[in-house]
Amino acid sequence: MDPITFSIIRHRLYRVIDEAVITLKHVSGSAITNEGHDLMVSLYRADGSLLMGGVGFLHHLTSAAEACKAIIRRFEGRINPGDVFLTNCPYTAALHTSDVYLVSPIHYEGELVAWSACFVHVYDIGAMVPGGFSPDSRDIFTEGFSSPGLKLVDRGEMNADIMDTLLNMVRAPEMVALDLSSMIAANNVARERMVALVDKYDPKRVDQACQMLVDQSEQNFRDRLRELPDGRWESRQYFDIEKETYRVLLAMTKKSDTLTFDFTGSSPQSKYGINCAYWAAWGGFFAPLFPLLCYDITWNDGVLRPISMIAPEGTIVNCTRPAPISLATVGAIQSVNNAACICISKMLSASEKYAKEATAVWHGSHFAIFMFGQNQKGQEAIGIMTETFGGAGGGRSFADGVDVGGEIPNPIGRMANVETTESHFPVRYLFRRATRDSGGPGKYRGGTALEYAIQQHDSPDGGINYVVSGKGTKFSMSDGLGGGFPGAPCNFRWVHNNEAVEAGKNVNPFAMSPEQMTGEQESISWGVFPLMDQDVLYVRSDGGGGYGDPLMREPEKIARDVREGNVSQGVGREVYGVVLDAEGGVDAAASTAARDAIRVGRLSQEAAE
Amino acid sequence: MSTRISASLVVNENAEIACMACGHALGPSGESWKEAACFSETTLKGAGGKPYSNAANVLLRRFYCPGCAALLDSETALAGDPFLNDVVQI
Repeated sequence: MDPITFSIIRHRLYRVIDEAVITLKHVSGSAITNEGHDLMVSLYRADGSLLMGGVGFLHHLTSAAEACKAIIRRFEGRINPGDVFLTNCPYTAALHTSDVYLVSPIHYEGELVAWSACFVHVYDIGAMVPGGFSPDSRDIFTEGFSSPGLKLVDRGEMNADIMDTLLNMVRAPEMVALDLSSMIAANNVARERMVALVDKYDPKRVDQACQMLVDQSEQNFRDRLRELPDGRWESRQYFDIEKETYRVLLAMTKKSDTLTFDFTGSSPQSKYGINCAYWAAWGGFFAPLFPLLCYDITWNDGVLRPISMIAPEGTIVNCTRPAPISLATVGAIQSVNNAACICISKMLSASEKYAKEATAVWHGSHFAIFMFGQNQKGQEAIGIMTETFGGAGGGRSFADGVDVGGEIPNPIGRMANVETTESHFPVRYLFRRATRDSGGPGKYRGGTALEYAIQQHDSPDGGINYVVSGKGTKFSMSDGLGGGFPGAPCNFRWVHNNEAVEAGKNVNPFAMSPEQMTGEQESISWGVFPLMDQDVLYVRSDGGGGYGDPLMREPEKIARDVREGNVSQGVGREVYGVVLDAEGGVDAAASTAARDAIRVGRLSQEAAE
Repeated sequence: MSTRISASLVVNENAEIACMACGHALGPSGESWKEAACFSETTLKGAGGKPYSNAANVLLRRFYCPGCAALLDSETALAGDPFLNDVVQI
């Protein structure tokens, strides 16, 4: 095939996905989709293998391939033009029940030529707790509707009995119907555009181009791996749920043009829903792998071929049914994301050519808060506080982490503005801002974390409830790199202002920091809690990991950090060894002395052996 | 001629792992170097500013070059957990 035609077809495939994502967003009505971009659309080959990965949460690109393959197996001989299939079973392919996959075969003149697949985190799935995150579930049977595969649309006709059954099992069915409609619309657009592409260029030529594209990705990726040194790199993630501590251990081995991700030694599966299943762990390390190693390579099945994974059955990264799994995306999967980010970045750091691509961990812990209750308009409001998509960037080999900069696994993630949230939930924000001293210290510091506080406002029920599924309150999950410190841990606090009022204390309705709040502050991290009357919920995310030795940071940058409120003078002096004068400028002599003193302290330490 | 193996380490012409900043040797290539580094282990709680205050029992380990005091690597750990061990083949 001539390279120009190949290139045109390749770019048309990109555009097919782009247009499908736009369609999905136009039809969907939920903030988690439109604001958080907790979504994905991709294209797959006729056998279900990944053809063109789209944007959104990247750990879904490979899981949706498994969804297509599962549907192919289950419905063999019954896959027709105009069909749309649904699966959300985590033990089949999905990440958790809330992330519903809709996959559609694409036929041209009766022949199956491709699949389109997409997902959104649906408004509700009928789990114990509205919104799908179900911290009290101890098995998947209480985590909502779950199907290994059903035909939602048959030859272009909605299977109303199936749709009605599904909507009968969820809260706010009108919103779930809109979620499903948005995915049907996205798949319809993808199908129409793919058919137009095949019609224009001939099915055999398009198939040839698609095969070339996959082979090209494999070749390019193997070439890249051969440029990198062989070796074995380790990383370790801890996380806490209630009083239990879990480990995700990863050893990544690179040999010639292959990579192996080995999770041996990770904790046994949990009684809490933070486990993930095999395909979720598989997708979990591809989320950082695609952007860090394949930033200029098409994300498709060719990238998967040099990779293998060892994930022992019965562990937190390969749990067995019926283990609970509803919080997998903010649990074990995210730890797999983080661990893989560090191992890949260590490998990149070992290469003169690719060292600049290395990064500390971005946004190591989702600080997901799911709200549910009646809102000020009398509507049933369910949804996530989209701040969870506004994590802190990790420090890189050439620059600081981006403050409140998002995360690697979702390059298009973002958070809603305050007014959007206040219009949907009966709450008002006391403040929302970046957090001083939260970024991991380093030559290039981690991005600063987000902190906010909310209080109920104008609620017909006197308040609203929320689910906290926070890990990372006792452990930092955003690891540093090259000596950089990890970012600061998350923090969730229930401020008991109601009790303070009952005790006759004055409550500051405009508190601008936790210190200005009157009520007793209770640390929380897991479960369902009320936000009633004058009580306050305070949330702080984790900071990004730092890169390199903090003593190597240019002193002028610390002066700027202090001026802009990102670093305190105390941390500037104690951790970075930078002393500022009364005007906020760098005191060069004092800083040199401070750094010398820190170095003397370092050298006075014993050797580790 | 040295070969880079991490953000802070190289393997020198004698096939030794060495500090990238000063060249101080830390042991043979292909083996763990951390035991030869100056080492501090403190609670993460005290490692940064106020936002670190709720880091419970986790430790921040730091490995320094005995030659120039450069911070070569850091890792978090619970007490008793082994050092993370990275091996680059040269």
